[in-house]
Amino acid sequence: MLIDSHAHIKYPGPAVGGGPGEPPPGSDEWAMDQAYVDAADVLGIDVLVCSCLTPKPATPEIFRTGNDRVLEAMEMWPGRIWMHTYVNPGHMREAIAELGRTRAAHDDVVGCKLYDDHVCSDPVCYPIVEKCIELGLVIVINQGHGTDMLFNKPHHRSDAGDIADLARRYPQAKLIADHIGGGGDWEWTCKTLAEVPNVYNEISGSGVDEGMLEMQLEYLGAERLLFACDMSMCAGMGKFDALPCSEEEKQKIGSDNFLRLCGRL
Amino acid sequence: MIVDCNAYIGHYAFRRLHYNTGDGILQLMDRAGIDRACVSSAGAIMYRNSQAGNEELLEEIEPHRDRLIPFAVLNPTYAAWERDITWCKSVLGAKGLRLYPSYHMYKLSDFCCSEMIEAATELGMMISIPVRAEDSRQRHWLVQAPDVPLNDIAALVAGHPNARFIVLEGLGFRGSDLVRKADELPHNYWIEMSRPDPLFDKELQFVKDALGAERLVFGTGICFKYPEPALLRMKVLQATEDEKADIYAGNMLRLLGE
Repeated sequence: MLIDSHAHIKYPGPAVGGGPGEPPPGSDEWAMDQAYVDAADVLGIDVLVCSCLTPKPATPEIFRTGNDRVLEAMEMWPGRIWMHTYVNPGHMREAIAELGRTRAAHDDVVGCKLYDDHVCSDPVCYPIVEKCIELGLVIVINQGHGTDMLFNKPHHRSDAGDIADLARRYPQAKLIADHIGGGGDWEWTCKTLAEVPNVYNEISGSGVDEGMLEMQLEYLGAERLLFACDMSMCAGMGKFDALPCSEEEKQKIGSDNFLRLCGRL
Repeated sequence: MIVDCNAYIGHYAFRRLHYNTGDGILQLMDRAGIDRACVSSAGAIMYRNSQAGNEELLEEIEPHRDRLIPFAVLNPTYAAWERDITWCKSVLGAKGLRLYPSYHMYKLSDFCCSEMIEAATELGMMISIPVRAEDSRQRHWLVQAPDVPLNDIAALVAGHPNARFIVLEGLGFRGSDLVRKADELPHNYWIEMSRPDPLFDKELQFVKDALGAERLVFGTGICFKYPEPALLRMKVLQATEDEKADIYAGNMLRLLGE
């Protein structure tokens, strides 16, 4: 079994055109999602764990609409799509209610996605984290540590340091740091998270630097790595092919670690 | 047969590279089933005097000339490039040049660049242009080197119809003049395929269908990058076996005059 632990469903509405993977204007509204599932078929990916990329700032109405879209996709492709519920912690009461609503709606709602609305170590996120612990949800955090002066770091993007702070405050929380191949300085990220046992790194992102996987394995071990693509399909799968580890360890990275995080193994 | 048109050896200033010697890169090539590779010096990207990188390259490739094909890195704003390019052709045996305008502080439209391209073409060398040396999100904090705009390359190929260009590490071809205005440009440029994806957004498939398989060349970016993602892109690309053979090797061998 192969689980892409970082995937997306398109926000409902007509395609704008021009974005990665976005079909031309006038296409079927599900065309982008169908293309994602088709790509997963070609690569042998069994499950796509999806959140919805919504317009920003995400009001409660917007994040509910996005989450409903993923729930709809779960009905269209049963068993293929699992869900990370996306919420904006700035709308605390509505966000907590949304986590409960989606968790009750489908068994395959397994996680919560935190994006760049607030840095994850901001106290505004604490009630969300506590609710996730209560519901047994993993918490997936969009992260990046840009090093270069041209890198346009969104003001509220978390980096590994923020994730480490949150993880130490909530050692019972199960945290995933997004895309080591798409989050800037992966050496910094790896070293920062090495000693934080309740944080897992996933390997997605368009970056395929030689040495990246070796360092993750050395510092975190195969037990704390997860397979993912985040829409960079051949980059993600190609890194999985390149993993310098045993088949047993690959199985952990490809599915078992994520299943264990979700309480399914 | 597989020929990798996008390979590097030597030290890079900002990140430790493994497999970065002549022996090392052969190990990586063997792992990936790559028969031959066009290599240039990673050190030359940041050396003030790029020629020193070319001299290091010579030491590394000399025992492996059957598999490693040298490309030179030169800076047209630096002293005595005219002398260096002659050495690169006659001693190093360079089949082409690699240009780093963002790292060497010039523009592709600058006269000095034009002069060097004409000199290289006169010597029978092709011109390869890496759009970037590494991902901008992780560049060293002292470096400000934006990716080379694809439309600048389109203007360059139009201005040098007798030269032959390979665009390395490019992405976003759909909206670029290299694809949109391909019919108006001379057919003197080839696209290396290690970044566009043939799945989901299908950019690689789009480029192949727009320009034809005869204008794509296989590349990986080793030893900066893993070779496996590029191999996977080729595996899932929708193309005939003949087209894939051309992309893997045939097109590059023809460019090399073999």
